[in-house]
Amino acid sequence: MELYQFIHDHLYFNRPDLEIKGERFNSTILFSLLTGLKKGKELIIGEPGLGKTTSAEFVCSLIYQFPLGVIWGSEVSGHPEQTEEKIVGRPDLGKLNRGEEDVVWTNFSQIPTKIVDEINRLPETKQSMILDGVDRGNWEYLNEMIINEEYCLFATANYQDGGTNTIIAPLVDRFDVMVESRYPGANLSFLIGKSNRKDHILRHVKYEKELHRIFNAKTPYEKKIPLVEEVCNSFGEYIHETLGVKPLQKRDRQQIRLEMDDTDLDQDASAFTRMLLAELSFCDRYGQKRSLENCEEGCHYTGYLCHEIKNCASNRLPISIKQYGQALAWLLEDSEVDIEHVKSVIPYTLAHRTQWKDEIVSQRERSKRDDPFPIFLAKEAVKTVSQRYREQSEHLKDALAVGSKIFQGESLEPLEGDHPLYAEIKKDLSTQRS
Amino acid sequence: MKGNLSTKKGFTGTHDKDNRGIRNPFEEFDTFTFHKTQIPLDQIIESTEVVMDQIRRGYEKLLEEEAKELVWMVQYNTIIKAYEVAEKHVREIDYSAEDIEDFCFALENTQKIPYFIPGPAGLYISALCNYAKEEEILLKLSELKTEINLIGFRLPKGKRLVIEGDAGDFTGIGLEGGELVVEGNTKNWTGAGMRSGKILIKKNIGLHTGEWMMGGEIYVGGRIRGLGNIVEGKVFEREKLVYPGKARHPNLYY
Repeated sequence: MELYQFIHDHLYFNRPDLEIKGERFNSTILFSLLTGLKKGKELIIGEPGLGKTTSAEFVCSLIYQFPLGVIWGSEVSGHPEQTEEKIVGRPDLGKLNRGEEDVVWTNFSQIPTKIVDEINRLPETKQSMILDGVDRGNWEYLNEMIINEEYCLFATANYQDGGTNTIIAPLVDRFDVMVESRYPGANLSFLIGKSNRKDHILRHVKYEKELHRIFNAKTPYEKKIPLVEEVCNSFGEYIHETLGVKPLQKRDRQQIRLEMDDTDLDQDASAFTRMLLAELSFCDRYGQKRSLENCEEGCHYTGYLCHEIKNCASNRLPISIKQYGQALAWLLEDSEVDIEHVKSVIPYTLAHRTQWKDEIVSQRERSKRDDPFPIFLAKEAVKTVSQRYREQSEHLKDALAVGSKIFQGESLEPLEGDHPLYAEIKKDLSTQRS
Repeated sequence: MKGNLSTKKGFTGTHDKDNRGIRNPFEEFDTFTFHKTQIPLDQIIESTEVVMDQIRRGYEKLLEEEAKELVWMVQYNTIIKAYEVAEKHVREIDYSAEDIEDFCFALENTQKIPYFIPGPAGLYISALCNYAKEEEILLKLSELKTEINLIGFRLPKGKRLVIEGDAGDFTGIGLEGGELVVEGNTKNWTGAGMRSGKILIKKNIGLHTGEWMMGGEIYVGGRIRGLGNIVEGKVFEREKLVYPGKARHPNLYY
């Protein structure tokens, strides 16, 4: 919370746009912090010049103790001529002349804080180059590979213009959350123009040079990590002394992650998430949602989200919901992930992953709203499912409890209900019985 | 940072109870116990049902007590007696105007009420209207298959009763200063014996209209089939005064 407040007060001026349990947050700072803490992947969208990249840079600098100069030197910018050699690594030309193959890894592939600026300016074919790295932290070049044990990814994207491309579906799905860095309003914007020192307070030329030297050194990647950490700790101490805020050391981050992982979802958070997932994946006719299949005319389940969307929820969606729910519960010092936590994070985990049917888009695109359209639609969907959950929660949890008893061999019948989750429970039980 | 959370189990769970190697996907709900949550709608339905039961019981008692008297034969003294019994039961019930409308439909549609006799039912509904808390009562009865007789009996001063749809015989008889509006038609003996007040019939009206009425006004938007022997009061047909006047004779058929 101290880091959130520091960024909010001194670095990234914007209005709060999200209320969770009575506390108001700016979604861009909040989700960037959670991404940094939880080793997540965040897509930041917005108009040019509204702080998409800088918000990520500030968060990365304070959570991972990197001076801004190092972060700037490790960013990858999306443009059509971008190559694997500039993103991942290149052959060591000196050694190549001697007939040896060795890879010089880029700062981007080595640094734990990865920022891809304007990712949608990368042509679609080149986006697949970073798929694996983005997903698992594995960076391969020639026959060599480095694995990032600890990393987070921030990618920014402008709204569609002449120079942008669509982000390919498999890459989009790999982002845990999507947020918008929005216009802060005329008054805060004016204030931003007045102070031009904020870029400098997180810089330190000596440590920047030292870190560049370590990254460029021809020592194995694994041996560089402790050296990097040492310099980062020194920078962290410098920040603590000069700015009064304490950036996180590696052991702090590890401790935080342990505590986050130890935070369970309570029954309501779990049942609500299952209810939503069932609606986003269920198809009575074809077994599951598939983007190439259309809903049957007069289907019984037309009242549910499955009738409004084209694609099926991916397995990464519940992972993102759990991870960010845990991170948020930790940040708010709650002992369990409850339904409020999951309801707060779900719109941001869902917005970029959902393909809405054309009729839904045309029905709602002119609705009055503050959020960008995909986040607005996701928030509306969460509201709708929340309403259903309020009415049905006890029966749904009972159905899940009965499911558990049947699974353990008790002779009971699964509970009947209209919601797709009842059908999903039955499917699980019939598979287990057979 | 938060306190020690080490006593909690891991997020993904650790054991399988069924020994088949397939993880129980519902395991975390093992400890769930079902509590029926009451939503506001449940409470509304429940309280409406309680009131409806009371209203129904009152009606059944009226039928039991008055069955021997054959109130539906409509002799004025039996009507008064039956109305007094209805009043006695109605006074004990806490109900709203909506409950009266629900009762009208329940008379036709539920098996719980054994008889729907338009006479006693109308008297009982009149008592309900006369003792309701609301000064203005709207009964949307246009969907009702049977016309209710005797509706608006003794409607007191200060009350306004509006019926959407048609009403049967003896509508608004013995009116005591209230205002009765019928959006549709009424049958014979409308406003008979009324003392004061106003009856507005938007469409047509039957025979013996205003028989022995002692005061008040009857306005008819459509046609009057026949006037009764009127003692005192006024009757208008399509805004034209027809009683007192020479144009119409008692029970003139036209």
